Parts: sequence; structure tokens; C-alpha cells
Amino acid sequence: METRFKTLREFPLDEYLSPGATMCAGCGGMIVLRIFHKALGGNVVIVNAAGCLTLLQVYPYTPLKSSWMYTAFASAPAGAQGIRDALDILMEKGKLPQGEDLKVVVLTGDGAAYDIGLQSSSGAIERGLDFYYLVYDNEAYGNTGFQRSGATPFGSSTTTTPPTNLNPAGYSGMKKDLFEIWRSHNPPYLATIAPSHVVDMLRKIETASGFRGPKLFISLSPCPTGWGFDPSETIKLSRLAVECGVWPLKEAVYGKVRHTVVPKVLKPVEEYLRRQNRYAHLFTPTRQEEAINFIQEKVNEYWLKVSATEGHEVIKPINLAEKQTE
Amino acid sequence: MRDVEMMTGNTAAAWAARLADVDYIPAYPITPQTEIIETLAKWINEGVMKAKLVQLESEHSMLTAAGTASLAGARVFTSTSSQGLLYGFEMLYNIAGWRAPMVLVNVSRAVAAPITLEPDHNDVLSARDSGFMQFHAERCQDVLDLVLMAYRVSEDRRVMLPSIVNMDGFYLSFTREPVGLLDKEEVAEFLPPYSHPQAFKARRHVVKGPAVIGGHLYTFFKHNIHESITRAAQVFDEAAEKFQSITGRKLEAVEGFLLDDAEYVLVITNSFTTTAKRAVVKLREKGVPAGLAKVVMLRPFPAKIIVEKLKNRKAVAVFDQNISQGFGGIIYSETAAALYHVKNRPETLLSVVGGLGGKFTTLEEFEYVFSLLANPDKVGAGKPLFLFRKDELRDVERAMKLAGVEGEM
Amino acid sequence: MNLKSIYPPHGIRIYWGPMLRIRFHGRGGQGVKTSSRILGRAAFLAGFLAQDSPIYGAERRGAPVVAFTRISDSVILERGFIFNPHIVVVMDESLIGDWLARPLEGLLRGGVALINTAQAGAPLEVSDSHVVVRLNITDEALKIIGRPVISAPAAASAAKITGLIRKKQVLEATVEELTELGLAEETVEKNLRLVSEVYDMTPHHSIKINEEPSRSLEVVDLRSDRVVFSDILEVGNAYLRKTGNWRVFTPVVDYGRCTGCMVCYVYCPDSAVKLDPDKKPVIDYENCKGCLICVLECPMRAITFVREAKAYA
Repeated sequence: METRFKTLREFPLDEYLSPGATMCAGCGGMIVLRIFHKALGGNVVIVNAAGCLTLLQVYPYTPLKSSWMYTAFASAPAGAQGIRDALDILMEKGKLPQGEDLKVVVLTGDGAAYDIGLQSSSGAIERGLDFYYLVYDNEAYGNTGFQRSGATPFGSSTTTTPPTNLNPAGYSGMKKDLFEIWRSHNPPYLATIAPSHVVDMLRKIETASGFRGPKLFISLSPCPTGWGFDPSETIKLSRLAVECGVWPLKEAVYGKVRHTVVPKVLKPVEEYLRRQNRYAHLFTPTRQEEAINFIQEKVNEYWLKVSATEGHEVIKPINLAEKQTE
Repeated sequence: MRDVEMMTGNTAAAWAARLADVDYIPAYPITPQTEIIETLAKWINEGVMKAKLVQLESEHSMLTAAGTASLAGARVFTSTSSQGLLYGFEMLYNIAGWRAPMVLVNVSRAVAAPITLEPDHNDVLSARDSGFMQFHAERCQDVLDLVLMAYRVSEDRRVMLPSIVNMDGFYLSFTREPVGLLDKEEVAEFLPPYSHPQAFKARRHVVKGPAVIGGHLYTFFKHNIHESITRAAQVFDEAAEKFQSITGRKLEAVEGFLLDDAEYVLVITNSFTTTAKRAVVKLREKGVPAGLAKVVMLRPFPAKIIVEKLKNRKAVAVFDQNISQGFGGIIYSETAAALYHVKNRPETLLSVVGGLGGKFTTLEEFEYVFSLLANPDKVGAGKPLFLFRKDELRDVERAMKLAGVEGEM
Repeated sequence: MNLKSIYPPHGIRIYWGPMLRIRFHGRGGQGVKTSSRILGRAAFLAGFLAQDSPIYGAERRGAPVVAFTRISDSVILERGFIFNPHIVVVMDESLIGDWLARPLEGLLRGGVALINTAQAGAPLEVSDSHVVVRLNITDEALKIIGRPVISAPAAASAAKITGLIRKKQVLEATVEELTELGLAEETVEKNLRLVSEVYDMTPHHSIKINEEPSRSLEVVDLRSDRVVFSDILEVGNAYLRKTGNWRVFTPVVDYGRCTGCMVCYVYCPDSAVKLDPDKKPVIDYENCKGCLICVLECPMRAITFVREAKAYA
């Protein structure tokens, strides 16, 4: 498909978010929302579930120049359904001019998308609702102080999975694969994105807009406050997540998967983990070799599978520990 | 279609939605409400009704979609029962707070556990603090009339709040009786088209449901809902007057039955009112000055009217088909509060709890309640009286024995 | 030591003893809540009744936040916001001019404003209305801990100004609070050194206030006679919040090196980088929160940063 986004030179200059939002400095979710909105244009209504970005709107302020509807934690996709259906039937009945139509966008964090709102999003996708869904995934319940969510990866410390002697690794379960859950509904368009990879993101939104039906985006959202890194490193962390293979950038058109950014050589996951306090317990006071290796192995396995099915060649990283013993 | 047709309460609700030319019906099945959405789905698919019906994945989602669609400018109808209302409960407060003037029909069904199918009013009364108006039906005709009334009152720019129209499961939902319809012109005369002053549209963007941090802002908006819903009583009266001029049918917030010279009065809601009326007639035949006050509008609570209807009576009983555990009847407490400042209030105010889980309340039981009013000394003041018959208790004991539960009651 | 030595008993107070009210102002992430808790616990350890509480708002790391400590030798019959503090602790001097934070508002006559400032001059200034204590706590923290973590030393400083709490009690409270937060032993140790240092450098001062504040009350009728939606129609108005006051470090563009590649513009989370006609960045300092993503991402290294230093006017 022909794209108008080849480099940052084509980055859209229209601005749909004013400054002055009360999100943390360096919020990854804000970067994604701002760019996402630029790609969609201004005629948008964003339907939101409880999460950090709910507090974009604190009466009487809003940074948005578009419309917004806060619904509830569990049912933003249903809220989108109501608005989409209402606009459709009102236009069909001649009660609303076509020019008044809005693109309907669901915006939630991972708590809503992976956990409490999973039923609602499943329903909306299955019904073929014509909408965009943008998940800003910071891998925990950030708005309430960083508790474990269904998106929390193995080894992450959260306030409800604190690393202790009894539980040295922090969270011992695995991150839920929302991409695959959603893909099983066979939506026309589904992609992962990352704030560091802007051109990739713009192209995907552009591709998605050619489809009618659910257009789903899961964005990594590095979170300086919850993950424990300096706010200036948000983009750096996002880039590392992609380069280490922790956050694969991919899309699925009617279920057919294609990876859009394939690292030639995977950087060791340690480079990504080390920069975040949520993984600090894996390195100090004693290095938890097993846990770190487990994370690396899972990443290697993933990319081996991708190599086999898509034919990319990905070289797995040299195990640093092995290197040291050589 | 005849002007008057045999129909169930559920069909009457569906007809009301059809007559109101609703745009959008988010739906989810639950007994005993399901027939409403089935009827509407059939009409829409046959092309006799132009609306969009979408089956959601839960009542929580259903109510969310109902609220947001209403804010996008669609006239919205939906219905549920019991567990469904409770599953979507969070959204009731939201919809009222959003000022989305949709109409919800609740087909009353007692709330689990134990799970059951037949009605009482704990489901609908749980919503009484939410900001929804509540109109309760005695007959299938009321269902149709009150839904149309609800749209007019809800959408009034002085109100802009949602409504619940309640009917009892089984006793109305599956019971057929003649129901009079309105023709298109009559509906048009009664119910102006719906528009929302700040609906979602491209020309003017709007943020709805923003967070409000600070109790003073929150209180201000909550007070505004209270003020608006209180104002709705007046709007209801205006609408009822118009409705009567068109259909000849009189709707009242509180309807009196043989009340004018009554000394002993029963306060009641919903479908058991019919049987209670029969008891009043029977007592009148015996020369007992009995009367009845049926509360149709539960929210806004018509305290003033209730006071007018109950002052100077000898004794009043409030029949509650609900139980506030640890207290007693809900409508009893509201009635008592309304009467507190009245000098010539009735000396006896008896709380009667009956009909839980649809437990049949017989004519004789209502007569018994009136007999207690005539002999108030027999009544424990302030203590709810549970109507329960001996034959029913025997049946319970038999069932417990079969269930393997030892011991005598 | 007893509050009554400060408040000579006069009149009859049956239910309510004298009380010290301390209000902490800082930014989310600066440990305002922890500070109020260390002070609260220190007072508790010193034998007083104490109460500490934060206020949770919509604001995030970097935004102005407040917390409170009340100290009394008798039962505390108050909760929540402190409108008329005896001491305000301003953990970030840039808050002084902030119209939302207004840290000095309601400070009682004769009360103390304890200000953490990069430009600490004479530590004690007495005016007609109140006493100003200026300390450079951040620099001490940078020296000892290497990061601007100031919750414990700010509490220490406030504790000394109350005239009621000894250093020993502050140290003990610091250990307990920071350990509870899960801080490493080594970090706690450093904090103790810092607490000790800052306690010592805080001037002696005894608060003498006999004023029992009362707020005037005018009750209004809320009737509006119309439906009021809680909608926002003035979209895009959040720039009025001026989140520039969150900033600790300020990005500065060297236009000589800037090639107009737009990277800073693309990655700014807050739309605080605008573009001039040559696509060169113009930073909106009224709103830039100082995350410094632009500094790190600029491929030409054309953006540097300086420490925000707003003088207390």
C-alpha cells in the first residue's frame, strides 16, 4: 500500500491536544495519544475507561480539541457502540447531516483492555463495530499506584507483587497476549505500536483507516513513574523494548500477521530491564540469573517462531553470562 | 391493528417504544423481560419500525451504550430485570449524571440469592437514589402510557434525566389484557421530537463525563440533579394533563381509590394494587371506610401529595413488596418521613411486608391488613409485619424436610 | 517538652487543647506525603498526639501537592485541609508564585514559612506578618544522596522549627518511615546523614501564636432553576493550567546547532514544543513540564538544560 508517511518530514502538524494536561512529565501514553490523534484528524470522539488518561479531563479543563466521553472502567467499547450506532441511525433517519459524523475512538489503559473491559471489547470486536481502539499499555494499574494487571510481564515488581524473599522475582505469571486474543476475533486491522517508532505508527493508522470495522492498536507506554526511570528516557526505553525484542512491532490484517520492524540482531533484554526500577530486584542485591535468562529465553523463542513463519532472520543475543565465563 | 388490543405488559412496553419512534435499543436477554426485545427485534427486522437494536454482551454494556447513544442525540429505549439491573447498576448513576434522558423498562424480579423468577421490588428500588425517575405500573395499559409519559418528562429541557418504568414480572409481563394504543398523530401531539442541546457532533466538540475533583463542584452538580428531578413532578403533571386531553386517560403521581372519605388507607404500588382494590371494595360493601393510595411516581417522591392523601386518616398501612434488610419496608420509611411534620397525621402507620419473590398475596390478606388498622393495639409499632400464611409455612416445612434439613419451625 | 510551654494556658478549654498545624507544599514525587508522615511520627515518638494526611488530587508526578501534620498534647478535633497553618513547608520554591498552590495562603501571623530554595540567604527573616526560613535542602540532598530527595530533611527542618521535637526522634521516625517504604538500608543511612545535617542547619525559632483561626461563613441557596450539564465546551483550554510550574529543569534550544529535524516536536508528550515557520522548535515555557525527552532525543544535541531557579519575589 502507498503511504504518505516515509520519514518524520511527513509528520502531521495539526495539533489536537493543547499543553497543560496533568499527566506525569514524560508520559509515554501522552506521546502516543498525541500522534494517534494527528493521524486521525480532528473529527473524533474519544471514549474512555478509567485509567491515567481519564484525568486528561478535570473539570473545567480539557487539553483535547475533539470530543470526549468518559464511560466506566469496564465498558468503554460499549460506550463507543452507543455513539457509533446513534450517529449511524440518526444519519440513516435523516436526523443528522453526514457532515456531523465523528470517528469513534476507544482509549483505555491496560487494566481496562486486558482485565475488566475484556468482555466489552470482545463484544464490540465480534459485532464488527466500526471504531478505533488505542490501548496505552504501561503493564500495570498506573493510575492507582502501579498494581499488577493482566499486562504485567514476568519479573516486574508492582505494589501487589513486591519482590521478597518468599517471592524473589516479583510477578511470577506471564503477560497476557491481548494481541492474540483480539486476533482470534478476526478484526480487519490490529497492530502493536510504540512511541519511539513514529513512522511505523503513522503508517499503521493510515492502513487501518482504509478498513471498516474494529481497528485495534496496542501501544507500549513507558511509564517513568511506575517503571522507575528518568522522564527523559521514555523514548529511549520504548526503542530498547523494540530493539531487545520485548515489544514486537507487528500488524494483523484479517488475522494475517506481519512484523513491521524486525531487529536484525536482538539486543540482550538486560539492557532494557536494567534501566527500570521495577526490575531492579533482578540485579541487586544479588543477580537473579534464572529469572533474567527466563525472560531472555521467552524473547528468543518468540523471535525463532517469527523467523520460522515469516522468514525473517533474527539473531538472538549472545548470553552475557556465558560470555563472561568463556 | 385495533385501537385496543389484547397484549401482555411486555408487548405494551414494546408498543410504547414503537409509538415513541425510538432510534436505538441496546438489548440483553433476561427473564421476564426478554419478550420486549424479541418483539422489537421482530418489528425492526420486518421493517415496520425504524430503529437500531443491538444486542450487547451484558447489561453493564447495554446501559453504557444506552447512555452514550442518548448523548449523541438518539432516543433510546432499553429494558432489563433484577440481576440485570444490578449488573449494570454502576451505569445508572452515570447515565443520570450525564443527563441522558433515556427510558428503561424494568420488569421486576426478585434478586438472588436464592435465585428466583417472580417479582418483588428490591431490584427497582435499589435504583431509587440514582437520579432516574421511577414510574410504577399497575396494569398493562399503565406500562404503555407511562413509557410515553417518561419520554416526555425525561426529555423536557427543565429535567433532562432518565426514567425507569417498572412493571411486575409475570403479573404484568406475561399477563394479557386490553391495552389502548395511540395513533401516530396523537403521539406526535403528545411527544415532541428529541434533541440534546449538547449532543456529540463534528460541528461543536464537547467533553462529557469529565472528572470533577473537589467536593464543592461535585455537590453542585449533584444538587442540580436533585433540583431537576424535583422539578420533574410539575412537568409530570403538565404532561399528564396533555395526555388526558388526547387519550382521555388520567395519570397521577399518586392515585386514590375510594379515598375521599376513607379512614383506613392502604399505600401500595404495582400490580398487587389490583387485588388490594378488590379488598377495599369488599370492605366498603360491609360499611368499613377503607381506601387506597397507589404510588405511581416513586421518584421524585411525591411527598406533598402523599401527605395530602393521608392526613386526617385514622390509620394507614404501607404495603412494601420489598425488604430493606435490618430495617423493613422501604416505602414505609419514605411515607413516614413525609408525614413526620404533619400535625394531623394518622395515629397509626403500619408497615406490611409481603409478596417477596412474587409470593402471592391474597384478597384475604389485604382484608386482614385493614382489620389490623381498625384494631391498631394489636400492631407492634414500627415493626414490619410479614404477611405469611399457615398453609405456606406448612409447605416450607415439607420442602425443608425433603431437602434433608432437620428441625421444626 | 510540652506544647503548653509555648501556649500558656488562658481561658478554659474543655475539649480542645492547643495545636500546631503544619502544611507541606511540594510536587508529586517529591515525597510531600512522606515528609508529613515523618514529622507526624516524630511528634508521636516525642509523646504528642499527631495526625498526618495527604490530599489526593488529579495531579501527577511534578504537579503541586499538599500534605498536613497536626501536633497536639490533647485530642485533635480536626481533619482534612489545614487552612491556617502555623508552619508552611515549601519544598519547591517555584510554588511560591503558583496561583493554584498558593503555599503561603492562610499562614498565621507570626507563623513560619520554611522555604527550600537554591538561593538561600540569611536563614531567618522576621517580618510583621511571619517568619521566613530559607534553606537549600536540595543541594544538601544532591551532595549526600546524589538525587534531589528531600522528604526526610524537610520533615527534620520543620520538626526543629516546632521547637517540640528532638533530632533523635526525627532520626527514629525517618528510619521507620523509609524502611516501611521499602528503601534499601544504604539509602536510609544516607537519609539519616542528611536529616542530621539539615536539622542542625535549621535555625532555632519558637512559634508564639495564640490566635485560634476562624473562617467567616456565608451559606448560600444552591438553587439554579436550570439544568446544568457537567460538560466542557471550551475544548483545548488546558493550556490555561500552565504546567510549566512543574518544571525542575528547563530545556534550552541552541538554534545554531538546530537543523529543524522536528524530533523534539514529534516526541514532546505535552505539545509544548511549537514550530516556527522554519520548523525550528519554540518551547512553550508556560507549559513545558521539563521531562527533557527533547534534550535526550535531539540528534544534533542542540538542546541543553538548566536548573529552574525562580526567585522568591
